[in-house]
Amino acid sequence: MTGTVEAHGIGGQADLPIPLELAVSGAVAALVLSFTVLIVAWRKPRYDGGGHPGRPAWHVLDTITGSPAFHVALRVLGIVLALYTIMVAVAGQETLTNPFFGIFYVWWWVGLVFASALFGPVWRAISPVRTLSAGVAKLAGSDPDSGLFTYPARLGHWPAALGLFSFVWLELAYKYPTELGSVRFWCAVYLAAMLVGGALFGNRFFENADPFEVYSSLIAKLSPWARVDGRLVVRSPLAGLSTVDPRPGLVAVVAVLFGSTAFDSFRESTFWVKTYQEASISKVWLDNAALLTFCLTAGVLFTVACLLTPSTAGTPHRELPRRYAHSIVPIILGYILAHYLTLFVDVGTQTLARASDPFGKGWDMLGTASVEPSYWFSYHPSVLATIKVLAVVLGHIAAAVAAHDRALSLLPKRDQLTGQLPLLVVMVGFTAGGLFLLFNA
Amino acid sequence: MQRHRAGAVLAGLALIAGLSACGDDSGAKDGDKGDPVTIDITFKDGSVTPNGDRIDVKVGQPIDLVVTADEPGEIHMHTDPEQELAYDAGTKTFKVEVDRPGVVVVESHALDKTIVSLKVEP
Repeated sequence: MTGTVEAHGIGGQADLPIPLELAVSGAVAALVLSFTVLIVAWRKPRYDGGGHPGRPAWHVLDTITGSPAFHVALRVLGIVLALYTIMVAVAGQETLTNPFFGIFYVWWWVGLVFASALFGPVWRAISPVRTLSAGVAKLAGSDPDSGLFTYPARLGHWPAALGLFSFVWLELAYKYPTELGSVRFWCAVYLAAMLVGGALFGNRFFENADPFEVYSSLIAKLSPWARVDGRLVVRSPLAGLSTVDPRPGLVAVVAVLFGSTAFDSFRESTFWVKTYQEASISKVWLDNAALLTFCLTAGVLFTVACLLTPSTAGTPHRELPRRYAHSIVPIILGYILAHYLTLFVDVGTQTLARASDPFGKGWDMLGTASVEPSYWFSYHPSVLATIKVLAVVLGHIAAAVAAHDRALSLLPKRDQLTGQLPLLVVMVGFTAGGLFLLFNA
Repeated sequence: MQRHRAGAVLAGLALIAGLSACGDDSGAKDGDKGDPVTIDITFKDGSVTPNGDRIDVKVGQPIDLVVTADEPGEIHMHTDPEQELAYDAGTKTFKVEVDRPGVVVVESHALDKTIVSLKVEP
């Protein structure tokens, strides 16, 4: 029955839930370490203001990654991946064995995040929409950086937040997330929106509004690499994080990313399954309402916590949420790792095998047709559970430190400790909630 | 100051690692896979019971899915690869087991319902 369109996503067997004692100790550790950070950490901003620009990287690496050939090679790689994806999207079969689904939901959505955390802003470097747009600009003899109009600063990351929401909506709240036509349509709209935006506003559009570039570049701030004044440097993830540009819409981006991943955990819980199966309203409506509620709750809780924080005269109060929003990024990365690690390893491997035989004709284009996932993590559930909890707790610590560092430059002197409490409480809530969902999966 | 911070972080992480080390992955020994678990599944008038219940089993433990139905159909077990179990009207018993730890969902695609989810422990 490989021809049937199934109403659930890809990936068969799911992870065992994490044990209760591990979830509780993770939450307690997050709580204790948060206050430890608050009390024993530095009293003057350490990363804010560029105090830690990083150390120059190995000279050879700097030369290679800075060379035009390297840039062209990455662009070519991006175009090849895009052409292959378009090929399987257009000519591939309507079955889950079509590698298109794994490429879309696992390589692109999850793989890009891990790659960005390790190597830096990957999507910016390989983005086929940037390459196409640059090609068009070259033909027209115009400057690819500035399009016909100036990108409105007030719009900021809002279009990216909308784009990211539309992706998670397709994956988690649409009735047929693994129907070839639907996913293909989503990709076509993405491509069209990016090319029009790029023509109108130039490259400014991609760094503000391309959902994948915004996501990738945000996570890339946690990578050890950066290019500062044209030089490749190695720096602390915390130093990278402090350089996130607090544009409008940044809070919406982090709220969608955190809220949707939390909903993805929640929707497989026995509680939710029983709820929608007993309800008189259809599952699709309940999923839509719940996905929106998770994202909005994340955004509203965070915004309220920031607004309860005092500020110095220099910063308008309403700008506080986006000034602190960078601190949620490590929580997102930790939770994404916990939630998607096995999906990425197992289904990612499976996709590699399917990509070698994209049309189910017994081909072996890439020589990977016979690779099979080993499901190593399934057979070592304690190791897996420990990795998950460590990822969530480490993400939480990094978040608490980043928020503390930012608070020192935003809070009035007299409120330097108590002023941080609302945000700390919300962060502990996010982390404990995430652990609860991993326990209750 | 720096050392304090690092110490606090390490202490917290050690706490987690220590707690997780209490668990073990050794799993059930051969011949100790437990008695068969019987799960009664009833299809009647276009609905199915149970309704998404969680059931704990062990790797390799025999599971009897006893399907009583008023019309033919099939249930799907979401292992990798997926298994389809077809039945006719009447009662039929499927003897299954799961050999990899995790959560396996048993569904009726025709009704678009999760019947049970099996929590398969090592």
